[in-house]
Amino acid sequence: MKTLQNPHGESAIILLVESNVLERERFSHTAQQENWKVIICQNGLNVIQWLRTNNNADLLVIEENSTPISGYQIADYIKTELGLALPVIITTEEFSLEQEERMLAYAEAVLKKPFHSPALISQITTTLEKSIELSPAQNDYYSLNYLIDLSGGDSKFIKETIALFISTVNVELRNLKQVLEQKDYIRIREIAHGIKPSFEMIENETGSGICRLLDSEAKEIDMPKLIDDLNLEFSNINTQLIKDFPELILVK
Amino acid sequence: MKKILVIEDNPMVIKSLEFKLTKDGHDVIIANDGREAMKLLIENEYDLILTDLMLPFVTGNELISYIKKNTPNTPIIVLSTSTQENIIMDAFNMGVDDFITKPFSPNELSLRVKRLLSKS
Repeated sequence: MKTLQNPHGESAIILLVESNVLERERFSHTAQQENWKVIICQNGLNVIQWLRTNNNADLLVIEENSTPISGYQIADYIKTELGLALPVIITTEEFSLEQEERMLAYAEAVLKKPFHSPALISQITTTLEKSIELSPAQNDYYSLNYLIDLSGGDSKFIKETIALFISTVNVELRNLKQVLEQKDYIRIREIAHGIKPSFEMIENETGSGICRLLDSEAKEIDMPKLIDDLNLEFSNINTQLIKDFPELILVK
Repeated sequence: MKKILVIEDNPMVIKSLEFKLTKDGHDVIIANDGREAMKLLIENEYDLILTDLMLPFVTGNELISYIKKNTPNTPIIVLSTSTQENIIMDAFNMGVDDFITKPFSPNELSLRVKRLLSKS
């Protein structure tokens, strides 16, 4: 059996809010088999208290009609108030398509009760894998913190934005090379100005710093070296992204 | 649902603004350059406009002049970078209502947009 591990190489930590004792036991039994670490919380307020003092949970599984605060409200609070990109699965017994859509506006997935081990494993593994693949180990070239904060951890948005960074910055770096050959220094400043926010959004200070220099302070004589440095930094970011997100179509 | 025109040429900034403003319940229309923006401004009215200043074809200042002349009550937020202090001052002198630095803080964006929409 392959144990699903979080980015720190530890067993995945799952917070569970489930009022039905039998369902709780079913969940715990499956978790034990799968080597997930389960923290039982009595209600959503306990979850928030736990998250305020611990920052290493990988997933919250919470019942829709949790009291005193519903699963929806807790999911929303975690993302908007605590600013955490913790994935949430809402559990419920019966639900219509309309209810499912509502639940998916707040949570990453919906799980039907009673819990059946294969469905439970499948849903939790899928949700955890999505979350873990968006939590690459810390590196020197980029961080997803801003994009996670902005989107509440929306994996589709984050991956699309990363792909956009690669494709659009690559085009602009080619344009930079071309306008440098033409000694069009005004255009160099404009291009650098335009791509600076792209580096800032992935929190790459070297890239944004070079763009700032090119945009405002750099002398014309220094521009070729700065553009070389920017290309090198982009290449390093690209290499790291290929390593962390091999499923994306990236620039070679 | 309020109609917001976003005039910006950085695709990552556009995507982020569109994501956040749509999530906040607004109808977001995108113009990728000044010329496209001018066409949209001639054809439609908006509840709020977010615009970059350094745009291809028609500059942000030219757009602001047009908006102030034709729909003076439409609030305008300028999207700026930290290196543009003088340009931002010029924009304020032309009558813009607020500015946001790129990359924007999501909560700050929501609050500033909400404040201006409630006034208009």
